[in-house]
Amino acid sequence: MDDICRKIRSEILNISNKSGHGHIPTSFSIVEMLTAVYQTMRHDPSRPDMPERDLFVLSKGHASLGFYCTLAAHGYFSFEDVYAFGAFDSRFGCHPDRTKVPGVEASTGSLGHGIGIAVGMALAAKIAGTKRKVYTLIGDGESNEGSVWEAVMVAVNTKLDNLTVLYDNNQSQGRCLPIGNPAERFAAFGCDVSELHGHDLPAIKQALAKPTDRVRVLVCNTVKGYGCETLSENVYEWHRRAPKPDELNKLQEELHAGAI
Amino acid sequence: MRAQFKNTVSELAAQDDSIVIVLGDISVYMFKDFWEKHPNRFYNMGICENTLVSVTAGLSSQGFNPFVHTICPFLTDRSLEQIKLDMCYNNFAGNIVTCGATFDYAWDGATHHAYTDLASLRMLPNMEVLHLGSKREVDALIRSQYRSPRPTYYRLSDHPHTIETNTEFGKGTVLKNEGAPLTVMTAGPILTSVMEACRDLPVNLVYFHTLKPIDKALIEQFRDTEILVVHDAYGLYEAISEVPALRMRYHGLPDAFCGWYGTVHDIRKRIGLDPASIRSAVQTLLADRSQAARPR
Repeated sequence: MDDICRKIRSEILNISNKSGHGHIPTSFSIVEMLTAVYQTMRHDPSRPDMPERDLFVLSKGHASLGFYCTLAAHGYFSFEDVYAFGAFDSRFGCHPDRTKVPGVEASTGSLGHGIGIAVGMALAAKIAGTKRKVYTLIGDGESNEGSVWEAVMVAVNTKLDNLTVLYDNNQSQGRCLPIGNPAERFAAFGCDVSELHGHDLPAIKQALAKPTDRVRVLVCNTVKGYGCETLSENVYEWHRRAPKPDELNKLQEELHAGAI
Repeated sequence: MRAQFKNTVSELAAQDDSIVIVLGDISVYMFKDFWEKHPNRFYNMGICENTLVSVTAGLSSQGFNPFVHTICPFLTDRSLEQIKLDMCYNNFAGNIVTCGATFDYAWDGATHHAYTDLASLRMLPNMEVLHLGSKREVDALIRSQYRSPRPTYYRLSDHPHTIETNTEFGKGTVLKNEGAPLTVMTAGPILTSVMEACRDLPVNLVYFHTLKPIDKALIEQFRDTEILVVHDAYGLYEAISEVPALRMRYHGLPDAFCGWYGTVHDIRKRIGLDPASIRSAVQTLLADRSQAARPR
């Protein structure tokens, strides 16, 4: 595991313990994807509103803690700021609010919305004739929503080759409405699809760097709770749960013992 | 009114590169000229209303002034959450323009009726809600509001009135003020019928095209009168009742699906919203008042 990704996961655990909030397994599954995006896209933490910046939308907004910690790791604010996660007056809610948190481009939470907004942003960049790119991260559970597939159809039909969809294939919907083979589905919709190990940071960055003339979809096969055996083997129990102090120590030990 | 919408937006777009049209496969032929002149700012995006609204929010986020347009219930009922979250909560502006009104597609049945759009959108924080009644209002209010920092809803109809009204955003119009103890308040195209019904009756008549923000100062002027709200939708009565402690009644939609076909006029007649029925409702109220005032 890359040091920055371990640091982000470690802070997710600390903040969840401190605040009593957090979807930890789903935040853990996207850390490499988020890191790859923020190490690839054009952005400046000292100027979050930089006009020529690329845009990222976390469509699966319940993974906000992973998002905040990634933004902190890239200099948008300190990890300590996020310790108020979920508190009454905090900027850092359990779903992100663009009007409160620098670096958040869209307020999300209800699933199936962020990708449509991202399509609008990518279309805006095309109409304006800029080279700006738009990235959005969606969940496999989120992809039960029909609006996800509407948005993909529109993106393909409007030829948004500046849009990248990262699909967190963490098998969260296996017990309910599985998507089956997402790579085949996105390909059938006309996207340029790559399927890869979702915790392989260099591989994700390489896939992001590859030129394309279509809507790009990276189907990232991930593990909920990746990095801590206790989480990855008990995902339902830990879906929305904060670790107690003794549990925090155990999780930190597992995390720092190395990737599973 | 749709043609006026197209004409006004086309005129504005000739000078303003920020205007983008997003259609749900409705009014496409009407916008042919726009599409030919501005092909990169015209998108007949598909029959996918949820995404139409989300895309509109995304366009707005990057500084464009988009217009999303399709049939009323499909855009406002089906995509209520996209309007609520992607536009209102995110604070992304944009223009939502619908056709079909309450019963313009009467012959298509209740799937194509819109009863609640004005009422539900009025309750969303940040929204501006317009029940436009005439072509003049369409032209004036699109021009004044299309760059508003808030999302704006414009409800159009194929049956506009032709009565002169104040076209200033947020302002109502007093069409009759006889100092009468009964005031009829209405909004949108049904003004034609209300005007005909009340023309020679001893009532005041007040009209609104803007339901949010409602013209509270104007309503206050009639606080001491009984108010009869005549409206072929929900939303106006609720807006007027923002002013506390009024004596109000509603003459409008029944709590039922109006599952007949025919024309808007057929349905209005069946539910008591044709001129004769409105007149009768007003006269009944006047008679009740007169009865109550008689010494016992």
